[in-house]
Amino acid sequence: MSKPIFELINELPTSGTTVMSLKALDYIVPGEWQNISGFENMITLVTGESDQAMIQQIGERAITLYNDPAEGYQRAVWLYQTANSIGGKLGAAALANKIGESVSFLSFLEKITPKADKAQAIDFSIKVAAEIIAYAKINGIPGDGVAEFMGAVGDYGKESIMRLAALTCFDGLIPLGPDFLRKIEEFISGLVPHDLTSNPAFSAVSSMIPGGGAEGQLGFVQQGFNSIKGWMGNFVSSKGITAEGVVGSLKNFIEISDDKLDYVAGFLDATTNYFDYTGVQTVGRRLIERAVAEI
Amino acid sequence: MTKHFFRTALLACAVIVSLTSCSKEDPRWSEADKKSKEAIEAKKQAQESGALPKPEEGGSFNKFFPKNEAGYDMIASQEKTGFAEYKLKKDGKELAMIAISDVANNPQAADKFKSSTKKIGGFPAVDQGSTATAVLVGGRFQVKVLSRDASFTKANREAWLQKVNLSGLAAMK
Repeated sequence: MSKPIFELINELPTSGTTVMSLKALDYIVPGEWQNISGFENMITLVTGESDQAMIQQIGERAITLYNDPAEGYQRAVWLYQTANSIGGKLGAAALANKIGESVSFLSFLEKITPKADKAQAIDFSIKVAAEIIAYAKINGIPGDGVAEFMGAVGDYGKESIMRLAALTCFDGLIPLGPDFLRKIEEFISGLVPHDLTSNPAFSAVSSMIPGGGAEGQLGFVQQGFNSIKGWMGNFVSSKGITAEGVVGSLKNFIEISDDKLDYVAGFLDATTNYFDYTGVQTVGRRLIERAVAEI
Repeated sequence: MTKHFFRTALLACAVIVSLTSCSKEDPRWSEADKKSKEAIEAKKQAQESGALPKPEEGGSFNKFFPKNEAGYDMIASQEKTGFAEYKLKKDGKELAMIAISDVANNPQAADKFKSSTKKIGGFPAVDQGSTATAVLVGGRFQVKVLSRDASFTKANREAWLQKVNLSGLAAMK
């Protein structure tokens, strides 16, 4: 089994490129994401509880819920971790985040190879599929009927909405440009099952994607993208998000001396793990919300 | 040369220390982690042998939540085996969480009601910490309201507990 949940949350770095890049997106979803690290901190923050005996009980119940494989929380963390690591990560990225130093953009420039648009489109839609599956693993299918379920999904907030903001900006808008949704749709609708099976991102998470074979799984990935594109298009336009705006904000937090967007995208892909980071936070929050209700 | 070697070695040590310090054991939770694995196995066996009832489906609790209170929104939040939770909002602001859980998932949760001195809706009730009030329905289902905003008081929690269809839930047993 992977690490226990308290360790995963305790080990979330409080500085480094991932944290800085998420801070740079705060202007898009103001106040939603907090740089919470530390299991006890998270319990206090989520529940508002300061009673130590209560915190102990909540923590113990959350640990037990996470450790029970039948509950699905572990699979969700695995999905977030695996879908995150599929980009062409540079070896130093993890180290850079752990020792809490920012990574110089220039020092990475020569190592960055911008991803081809098609590969970027596939990675994007696999992250969307992973998000949908992880949601169901964490929350079940809550509510009586479709309307209540749509209400539940529409209630994305905190680190979950930040993850979608980062997906929009770092995996869509910056690498693919303002018409990224149309581009992704074109690539995705034209895929054949072999395109997926030969993609390392897909291979890594395929055991968790429903569909009973590559063709059905491709259908799931395509439907997943179709289900999010309307929301995302509206998110971008209603908030007036532009690649230039995002890069401008990033420059307040990370040393970026080049405006070539596909290099910025490559740099972020190599040096950040926002999907994993916010995914662990989401799982932690939901576990704690359930634990405090069940004790 | 030697100086340079020492400097490099020192730097390497510093990096190793900073990395390992990130993943040190947390004594407050390590023990709970070990115990939980035994508890999960014991619960599984007890449920298979019939010593412990199998928890009800979370979806079967949905109809007991108060969903038609004017001015408030109830948003489905989690639904797992033996558990359903809704978020209570007003004007977009999160006020509280309301949850129904089957204590078959966590039998010791029922223990605290043994010393209960008050009743809500005719069922034994307790306060927990500074944010939670709960009732135990039919000895089997825990209904809990958790404040998520300072304006949502203990009196509010008690009032919302009574808006849950407690008698309907008791009849489900």
